[in-house]
Amino acid sequence: MAYYQPIDDNLLSRIFRLPWIMILVIIGLGVFGVAVLYSATITNPTEANLPGVHAVRVGIAVVFLFVLAMIPLNLWSAVAYGAYFAALLMLLGVEFYGAMGGGAQRWLEFGGRRVQPSEFMKLALLLALARFYHQQLVNGPAKFYHHLIALVMIGAPVALVFKQPDLGTALMLAATGFAVMFFAGLRYWMIILTVAVGICSAPLAYFYVLKDYQRERVLTAIDPSRDPLGAGYQIQQAEIAIGSGGAEGRGYMKGTQSQLDYIPEQHTDFIFTVIAEEFGFVGSVGLLAAWCLVLGIGLAIAGRCRSYFGYLAASGAVVTIAFYVIVNIGMVSGLLPVVGVPLPFISYGGTAMMTVMAALAVICAVNLDRDRHLSLTGLF
Amino acid sequence: MSRKLSNRKPVNRELDTTRRLLIAGGVGSLAIGGLTARLVNLQLYNQEEFIKKAEDNRISLIPAIPQRGLIYDRFGEQLATHRTSWNVYAAREDLPDLDEALARIGDVVELTEERRERLKRSFRQEQSFVPVSILTDLTYEQFAQLSVLRTQLPGVTIESSQARSYPRGRDFAHIVGYVARANQKEIDTALEGLDRSNIAQRNQRDRIMAVLKHPNMRVGRLGMEKELDDWLAGTPGYHKYVRNAQGRIKERLNDDEHAPQSGKDVHLTLDAGLQREAIRIFGEETGAAVVMDVQSGDILALASNPTYDPNDFVNGISTADYSALRDDERAPLYHKAYDGTYPPGSTFKMVTGSAGLRAGVITPNETVFCGGHYAFGNRRFHCWKRGGHGRLNLHEAIKHSCDVYFYEVARRLGPERIADEAKAFGLGERYELGMTGGASGIVPTDSWKRGRYNEPWYDGETINYGIGQGYLTVSPLQLAVMSARIAIGNGDQLMPNMVGLGPDLPASERFGSMPPKDILDQLRAGMYGVTSEPGGTAPLAGDINFQGIRMSGKTGTAQVRIISAAERARGVISNEDLPRHLRDHGLWVGFAPYDNPKYAIAVVVEHSTRGSGKAYPIARDIMHAAFVRDSGRSPQYQMASRDKDSESI
Repeated sequence: MAYYQPIDDNLLSRIFRLPWIMILVIIGLGVFGVAVLYSATITNPTEANLPGVHAVRVGIAVVFLFVLAMIPLNLWSAVAYGAYFAALLMLLGVEFYGAMGGGAQRWLEFGGRRVQPSEFMKLALLLALARFYHQQLVNGPAKFYHHLIALVMIGAPVALVFKQPDLGTALMLAATGFAVMFFAGLRYWMIILTVAVGICSAPLAYFYVLKDYQRERVLTAIDPSRDPLGAGYQIQQAEIAIGSGGAEGRGYMKGTQSQLDYIPEQHTDFIFTVIAEEFGFVGSVGLLAAWCLVLGIGLAIAGRCRSYFGYLAASGAVVTIAFYVIVNIGMVSGLLPVVGVPLPFISYGGTAMMTVMAALAVICAVNLDRDRHLSLTGLF
Repeated sequence: MSRKLSNRKPVNRELDTTRRLLIAGGVGSLAIGGLTARLVNLQLYNQEEFIKKAEDNRISLIPAIPQRGLIYDRFGEQLATHRTSWNVYAAREDLPDLDEALARIGDVVELTEERRERLKRSFRQEQSFVPVSILTDLTYEQFAQLSVLRTQLPGVTIESSQARSYPRGRDFAHIVGYVARANQKEIDTALEGLDRSNIAQRNQRDRIMAVLKHPNMRVGRLGMEKELDDWLAGTPGYHKYVRNAQGRIKERLNDDEHAPQSGKDVHLTLDAGLQREAIRIFGEETGAAVVMDVQSGDILALASNPTYDPNDFVNGISTADYSALRDDERAPLYHKAYDGTYPPGSTFKMVTGSAGLRAGVITPNETVFCGGHYAFGNRRFHCWKRGGHGRLNLHEAIKHSCDVYFYEVARRLGPERIADEAKAFGLGERYELGMTGGASGIVPTDSWKRGRYNEPWYDGETINYGIGQGYLTVSPLQLAVMSARIAIGNGDQLMPNMVGLGPDLPASERFGSMPPKDILDQLRAGMYGVTSEPGGTAPLAGDINFQGIRMSGKTGTAQVRIISAAERARGVISNEDLPRHLRDHGLWVGFAPYDNPKYAIAVVVEHSTRGSGKAYPIARDIMHAAFVRDSGRSPQYQMASRDKDSESI
């Protein structure tokens, strides 16, 4: 009883206790995204409406963020398993009935609207794992077989998404899943062993698991000049854009690479090149710093949470967001293969923004209910 | 739903959440640090390299063709100028999809399958940066329609450009010549000495090639366009364009340093109106006429007939049309006035007479008897008048064009003195007028014959030399110079010139000196007799039908074949009965007014049906036109340069 502190839990106090710095940084990033998008699309009349659409989407995402953040943490945990199984069923549905797009089967059509279950799965897997480990950890350290069950929970959606094929999302699901396992107390020697096995099996995976085009991407990331007209062209042009930005950038709407359309996908996955070219090192490092602030606040919230569910869900959400940012900038700057991961709140496109918004909402909800102890049993 | 809040503190102390979060933060920081390091490397240490790459990306250098200088006549009329031409061309490296582009263009302008194939072959054969002409000389409608499609034709240039045009086409075809696309030989010449393996020289080669192969580029191929190409052509430069990733030109950057420099203009001494009249007067006859101002040496007309349209050559003439021109027996492509050489015939008699007087082998009043033929060795040389002229002196010999008189003078002179006199009168020399071609003709001597035929000179050849037959050949231009030097009558060795304002041309040489005034007076008096005294050989040439002005002159007939003794026995065959190519040429040299000469003229009518009888009417009519037009009045370019001089003072 001594640890329980009654919470003044009315709506006003919940709004007051939101992590405002994080939310303001996110809104700032969204606004910045609209401005960058304006510069990236100004030369192409058919893309003239994109900044406006993006602004609306940012607005909707922020509203949803506030709404979802108000949901009590026990409700998040209550829907965790249901959401996980629903997402898994949809992924199976994609496997059998899904729509093709860009050479991959990723969507389900519901009355004309396309739904991408793999995005939904990112959040569902996170919540399900958090709940699963919470239930074990309240009774003592997780046993080895618990980790095996978690591995199965991660492996099923990863395999289905990888088969679509969507390497980026599969990696992100795996990364989020393993991150939760780590935060749930996976032994260090196990981690070291897994990493060692992973490194050793990477060549095997490269030759037997990856498809030709995926292998090509890896090779192109190592040496962009091997495909100067295809993917290598994109990377080379991106490097030119980033590099020519220099310390201070060439000025807003003055980047020649961006303004003359030299970089394919510069309004979606490659929008970072526009920032780097027009705002320079100052702008690109500033962007990284803003994301670091968001992620740091997320980790702090996770650390202060008293329930395992909140701790695991918040830290997993931070990893999901970090994965987006690091992989996006890594691939655009030529450090990682091009796997199609957008830069949240800045790239044009709604799906990733909604996923990240949901992850942020989880962090906010954890922050609001950080002192609440959850006792979870069963499936609901 | 079994959900209830628990107020128990977590019992698991083995899970140090803080440590795990710190480890995660550390790993994340490492990743972010890696990204930052990459950005430092790209943006802070290599910015210049990438800015250069970005500039290479966006800026493309497009060769800019200079505007050729114009060519004007004496009074400022344009002989070579420009017209607007709408053209379509592209370089392979700028074209995303050739087939697509051709299909789009084909929607507006019909492109036959054959033409398409030929274009594709050209694109394959040329280096990728060399623009290939797709269409030339579109109609305005086609140009407008294609311009609307511009956005669908990335990499394709649709532009109006300046095409060379010759408004006085046929009249000046032989003089002005024409421009054409550079051929492989001209390109090879321009690339000579540039090594492909040296990078700087290879770039220079590429630039030269891009200019010479540019669809709008033309080089002088013939005539003045070729000879004065350096003056007229200007210096090519290039424009800097900003291109986007699709190859579309977004803007042109100002770059005066590399702008092309236009060529310089040339002003000729010719009178386009007189030139046209001369060609009109020739009509169906074949030949050449030259009109010279005897004060200045300005050539006022230099006409060859028939002629052709040089505009046909600018975009390339069809093989069939070219063959027709080349195979025409009247040789329209041949610049007869400048390149053509003919035996001067009797027009040479003034030279023989002058040499005789100057050498003192005859005196003006000394007479020679003409009995219709002249015996020399075992050969008989005939006078054109079978019955003979009786006794006559120099004046009468010129007036009646007696052959026997000049046989005798020639015999007394020998070939060397005749040749020296001919050269002093301006024969045997190529005059530099600023165009291709130009014949020097032949003024034979003993040493010339030994060099040419490895044979000694025979005395019989001296006899024929006296009446302008034998090896002696002259061009119509040289005849005009000779005529002008006689007409001016003061001993000046007048030089012909045709470029009034333009590049400096190498000076032609003067040989020996003209005879003194009294000898020239004798010649002029004889030439007056030809047209204006009873018994003259060309009484109808005297009156040029303008303000009573009279022309003096001398007829000539150039024998094309040797008349055999058998033919002579059968009787004279009239020229009309001979096949065309065996007929004699008719010649005329003259000047007017006879007492105060202003213009000198020379006319050659090839294979005339009536010998010199075709030449002098043409000369008379052209002389008439020259006086009516007052062709010799001050040229416009002189007045312009005078204005400039007064301004600078």
